[in-house]
Amino acid sequence: MAELPNTTMANECKVKLKSKDDKIFEVEYAVAMQSQTLKNALAHTGCTDTALPLHDISSQILAKVIEYCEYHVNAANTISEKDVKTWDEELVKHMDQDTLFRLIVAAKYLEIHNLVDLMCKTIADRIKDKSVEELREIFHVQNDFTPEEEEQVRRETKWAHGE
Amino acid sequence: MGANLSRVYEGDDGRPPAGYPGLADIPENCIAGIFRHLSPLDICKLARLNRAFKGAASSDLVWAEKLPVCYQDMLSKLPLSKGQFLPKKEIYALLCKPISLDNGTKEVWLDKATGGVCLAISARAMAITGIDDHRYWRWIPCEESRFHEIAYLQQLWWFEVDGVVKFQLPAGEYSLSFRLRLGTSARRLGRRVQVFNQVHGWDLKPVQFCLSTSDGQHATRGYYLDQAGEDGPVGDARGKWTDYHVGNFVVENENKLTEVKFSMTQIDCTHSKGGLSLDSVSIVPSKLQKETENKHAGCYS
Repeated sequence: MAELPNTTMANECKVKLKSKDDKIFEVEYAVAMQSQTLKNALAHTGCTDTALPLHDISSQILAKVIEYCEYHVNAANTISEKDVKTWDEELVKHMDQDTLFRLIVAAKYLEIHNLVDLMCKTIADRIKDKSVEELREIFHVQNDFTPEEEEQVRRETKWAHGE
Repeated sequence: MGANLSRVYEGDDGRPPAGYPGLADIPENCIAGIFRHLSPLDICKLARLNRAFKGAASSDLVWAEKLPVCYQDMLSKLPLSKGQFLPKKEIYALLCKPISLDNGTKEVWLDKATGGVCLAISARAMAITGIDDHRYWRWIPCEESRFHEIAYLQQLWWFEVDGVVKFQLPAGEYSLSFRLRLGTSARRLGRRVQVFNQVHGWDLKPVQFCLSTSDGQHATRGYYLDQAGEDGPVGDARGKWTDYHVGNFVVENENKLTEVKFSMTQIDCTHSKGGLSLDSVSIVPSKLQKETENKHAGCYS
């Protein structure tokens, strides 16, 4: 196992990431450390010039992940919790469903726990107050119940929706 | 990446559009994370989307998080230890229906949207001065009461109602309110009407409402239940059941019984008072508490 860069090296070490569509992103070591997956990978390779390939993450999504991590690294101990929360809310406010889902998958793969939590909460907020039909539309889910199964689910959840 | 819900979206050629993720592509433990932020009602809605969601939305792991810490205690109060081995989702649904305590004089249930524990204490469970004297108080059957009866005060000078409840409440802040009505209902010519002829004395002095807990929390409030108006008395509780909010208390230690004492008094004996219907006291998580319409009017403390 290669040695982890010492503090001086860590400050100078840049981590290269390659997206699914072969774009290279360069980030500070501290930013990469927000991801448990990258942290583990770098523990094996040390500071290297080779880009770490992220086969399932597009450049569009990777850019967003990096934006999040860069902000949070800089915000730690310098920006108030309230302001960080506001920034997070702004980041996701206009994201479409497609981006949200890709982002949560990427965040989970990279093990960036705060980002996963933010995504969970954001997706949950979009689910609240929508009807079953609206939810199927938004999330592109087919109704695969038989009429009997559908009736059974309706009965079982009657206590909740009061119909 | 962990187990996924099986994808069910089909494109034209029977395959999903290239690179298109749906909710079905989200790893299972992220789904659990999303459910953590959803209310039980929203989770039930998701169960109706398709088979895969029904499975995820019915999991014991998801519903175990929605049950309050005292759910075993609540289950034990059900007859025939009903429900001990049911799936957690069904236990939740079961506990949303009122459970009778203390020989039917109290009830406990879960608020279905939030899982918050709610209590109601009937007038029967309370110590009411003069309750046995028919000159002062009567018990009247009442379909509008969850206990099907209310205590009705005709007239007296020393008005005092005391009660206590002990329950292992989950941690959090709770509101306590008395449910009252001025007047009573009677049948006149085949119709049910509100009768106010015995209502008097509540506009002269305020009624003192108090609560205290075994760990030293207190709250007191005074309300005028009736007010003199230009065209006669106007009281918010005239003819309709009104919740008078006494105050809030906080439960910190959910591993022991919380004891709450409460009272309602008007013992100024220079005037008599009467025409009051007393239903019950309710204790609910404070974010569920609806403010009474007369929150500011007639209230001082």
